Order: sequence, then structure tokens, then C-alpha cells
Amino acid sequence: MIQLYNVTKSYLRGQNALNDITLKIEKGEFVYLTGPSGAGKSTFLKLLYCAERPSRGQILINGRNITRFGVQRIPLLRRDFGIVFQDFKLLNRRTVYENVAFPLEVTGHKRFEISKKVYQTLKQVGLQHRLNDHPLQLSGGEQQRVAVARALVVEPLILLADEPTGNLDPDVTLEIMEMFKDANARGTTVVMATHDRQLIRQFPRRILELDAGCIQMDDLPC
Amino acid sequence: MLGRPGYHIRRALRNMRQSPFLSLASIATVALSLALLAFFALAVLNVQQLMASWGDEMAIVAYLDDPPEEKVLQQWLADIRAYAEVQDITYVSQPEALERFRERLGPEAGLLDGLDAQILPASIEIHLREELRQRTTLETVAGQLQQDARFEDLTYGREWLEKFEAFLLLLRISGAALGSFLMFAALVIVANTIKLTLYVRQDELEAMSLVGATSLFIKLPYLFEGTLQGLIGGVLALGASLLVFRLLLMDVLAKLLMITGIDTIHFLPPAWQVGLVLGGGLIGLLGSLFALRKFARIGPA
Ligand SMILES: Nc1ncnc2c1ncn2[C@@H]1O[C@H](COP(=O)(O)OP(=O)(O)O)[C@@H](O)[C@H]1O
Ligand SMILES: [Mg+2]
Repeated sequence: MIQLYNVTKSYLRGQNALNDITLKIEKGEFVYLTGPSGAGKSTFLKLLYCAERPSRGQILINGRNITRFGVQRIPLLRRDFGIVFQDFKLLNRRTVYENVAFPLEVTGHKRFEISKKVYQTLKQVGLQHRLNDHPLQLSGGEQQRVAVARALVVEPLILLADEPTGNLDPDVTLEIMEMFKDANARGTTVVMATHDRQLIRQFPRRILELDAGCIQMDDLPC
Repeated sequence: MLGRPGYHIRRALRNMRQSPFLSLASIATVALSLALLAFFALAVLNVQQLMASWGDEMAIVAYLDDPPEEKVLQQWLADIRAYAEVQDITYVSQPEALERFRERLGPEAGLLDGLDAQILPASIEIHLREELRQRTTLETVAGQLQQDARFEDLTYGREWLEKFEAFLLLLRISGAALGSFLMFAALVIVANTIKLTLYVRQDELEAMSLVGATSLFIKLPYLFEGTLQGLIGGVLALGASLLVFRLLLMDVLAKLLMITGIDTIHFLPPAWQVGLVLGGGLIGLLGSLFALRKFARIGPA
């Protein structure tokens, strides 16, 4: 599903954020991306959803080489992803419903189809009663659940999450993890950056540990 | 995906509702600059029209201090009629001239009592064919007539025509210069207001692009927004100029042009009215295109 070949990323100044990474993530896998702050976790994810381009190397997503993707093809690539961030990145001037509906509007779904899917997904994350509220009226945990709903409503091939639980208290963290596990169980490949070791122990999965842009460890749970 | 203009227009309207001050600023700029342009156009068009109507009265007048006897006179008139440019001629005899003068004096006509008709010259008024009533043709025909010793004493209001044409040209040039400057200013201001709204909503644009919205999809509401603001500005400019025209300009222009009957002053013709509104829309569209150019690469941030 995701293949990297000798991928190096260097920003304009400073050392390489990622250094000669070669790895493969299979369809349906759940992978933690871990390592200290500045290790290159966010950069890794950004390369996958084409917010950054690799300086060297090739990246294949679902069999397509995205390294040379033109700007026009990036939006189409992103429709295969659901992306969740630490800071949610919701549309704060839209309602919860509109936020979750937006990715479907972008792809031109019919209205009744959209509402069906949105209700269904909001129910999954337990927010069906808040659909007319605005994100800033919700708690951090609820906002993140909206973000997860937005990511999952399109039934993505790949779910990318960049420290999704970084700002949340433990119970909410567990809720979010359950949602990711459910999505994974339905076949979505999950790549989640986190430095929460306890969480990884609690839900053991394959671990990719980065340090200073290099893979320190690529381990399957025992 | 993009075949739903209603959806994008709704997004544009929502954007405008959410930043009313910025929208008002754009609308006001477009309205103001187009209204100024409309005032200028009104002045130019009316002066031009006036000139055209005066053109109907434009004639070459040959004065005959010492009119010949009837038979010779008929020959002279026939000679003038022979010119291809001439449509018709009117002979004003000395008594007729005095009569006309008396009429023009009105109540003061008594001053002329007891005066001999000989004090005024007879004249031949030469009217050119309608399509030739311009300064240049008047000049050529008058020049040819002047070669003829019989019609030396000619007038055709040349100086005034020249002055008037120069004035009109000045009015047009300054109108065009001011107009293009104002349009440009409006364009820049609209572009900057849209840019400002884009900066305010940068997070939102990023969020949209992260879920796979194409940049056209993201931009379309802003293009609608700009165009709509421009159209509204155009309509306001039209309304404002009509209002100012009715309340003020009609009188001022009438006085300025020394016209007695006010019905010779006209508002902008329909094509101009439509043009004003569409011009506003165009300014808005171009302004938002300008603003969005920099945002072409929202995608890979
Ligand atoms: N936009 C950027 N410009 C320059 N350097 C950057 C940029 N983003 C990240 N970096 C650098 O790349 C390295 C990896 O950063 P990042 O991928 O954000 O790490 P992590 O997410 O693991 O904390 C860091 O040294 C960081 O300073
Ligand atoms: Mg990071």
C-alpha cells in the first residue's frame, strides 16, 4: 500500500529531516511512527499526503508513484486519505455536520448520500447530537472526534494521524484509539505518529521508530 | 463536482456575510469609481449630443453687402447649389434680415424703428448635407467658396467649433485617464480585500485542501464573491449616478451648457448602463483572480 525507496528529505537549511528511508507498509496494517520531537515523524506523513516533496527517492502509494505527481493530481490522491492532526484543523466557521460533510461535497456526492453517511459517521464517534454546533463550542476531545469522523466518512484507504491524541486526556485518547482500531478492522491502513509509549504498549502494533531522520527500529509486536 | 454553481454561490454568500466590512469596502470602492466614471461619461455624452444638435444649425453664411439684382442672384444661388456637399440654401434678403433682427430683439425692437433695411447685409445660408456637417467639410467648402470673388465675406463659426472640439477632446481624454485610473484603483482594492479574506481564512483553505478539494473548488466561491461584489458595486454606481443626475447634474449641466429646455439633457444610454454594471462585475472578477494567483499552490503547502 505504501512503499518508500531511499527517501531523503532536506529542508532548505539544516540537516536531513529524513535520511535514506526504505520501507513497505502493507494494506490493512496499523503502524506507529514514533521517536523524539524533531525526529521526522510529521515530515514522513507530509511526504505521504504530498504536503512536501522528497528531495531524493521514490514513494509509491497504492501502486502509484506520487513523487512526480503534478499539482492537479494531489487533491485526487488526498481523497484516498483520511488525515487527523493534533490541532484538529477543522473549519471553525462551519457546523459539525458541515465539517464532516465537506470531504463528500468536494467529491461531488449527492445530498441524500452525504447526509446518510454523515449521520452514520457522527453516530460512530458519538456526536450525532452535536451536529449543529460549531467546533469551538466543543471540548478538545469532541473536536478531535469530529476530525476523526471527517477523516473516516470517506472510507479512506489510508488513515494518517499526526499525534492525534497529543492534546487529549487519557479517556478521550482511548476513545480515539478504538475508532482507529475499528477503521483498521474494516480494512483501512493506519499510520499514526505518536510519542506516547504507554499507548503503544496498550495497543501493540508495528512500530517504526525514527531518530534524526533515520529508522532506528522497525518492530512488530511480540 | 464543479457543475453546481448554486453550491458555490451559497458558499460565496456565506463568506460575504461572515466578513461584511471587507465586502462593503470592495463594493463601495467599485461603486465609487464607477460612479465617478459615469458622471464623466454623462458630461461627455451630453456635450457631444449638444454639439450634434448644434451641428444641425451649422451653416456657412455668405454676406452680400451689395446684393445683385434678382436674375444675377438666381444664377449665384444656382452656382452654390451645384456643389455636391450642399443640401439646400436659404437666401435672406436685407428686409428679411432686418425683420429677423427685430424678432430677436423682442421688446427692444423699437430701437430699430425708422432704420433703413440697408443697414444689414443680405446673406446666403448654405446648409451642407447632414453627414458632412463637421468642421473639416465646412472648412473645405467654405475655402472653395471663398475662391469665388462673389462670396468673399464668409463665416461658419470656425473658431468656436475648434474650441468646442478641443474642449470635448480634453473632456474625453481626462475622462478616459481618470476612468482607467479609478478602474485600476478599484481592481487593486478589490484584489486586496479578497487577499485579506484569504489570509484570514488560510487555516480553512488548508483544511479544505487536506481533504482533497481542488484549488479551483477552493477558489470558486472567492471568484463568485469578487464578481458579485463588483456587480453590486456597478448597480450602486448606476443608481447613484441616476440619483445625482436627477437631483443635481441635470440642472448643472443645463446651466453649464446654456440650454433653456432641460429635455435635451440625457442620462446614459441603456448600453452604457448595462456596461457599467458588467464593468463592475469584471473588475470584481479580475480583482479576485489577481488575489488568487498567489494562492495557486495551496495544495502542497
Ligand atoms: N517547514 C520546515 N522547514 C524547515 N525545517 C523543518 C520544517 N519542518 C520540519 N523541519 C525540521 O525537520 C526536522 C523534523 O521535523 P518534524 O518532521 O516536524 O519532526 P517531528 O514531527 O518528529 O517532531 C526538524 O529538525 C525540524 O526542525
Ligand atoms: Mg511532529
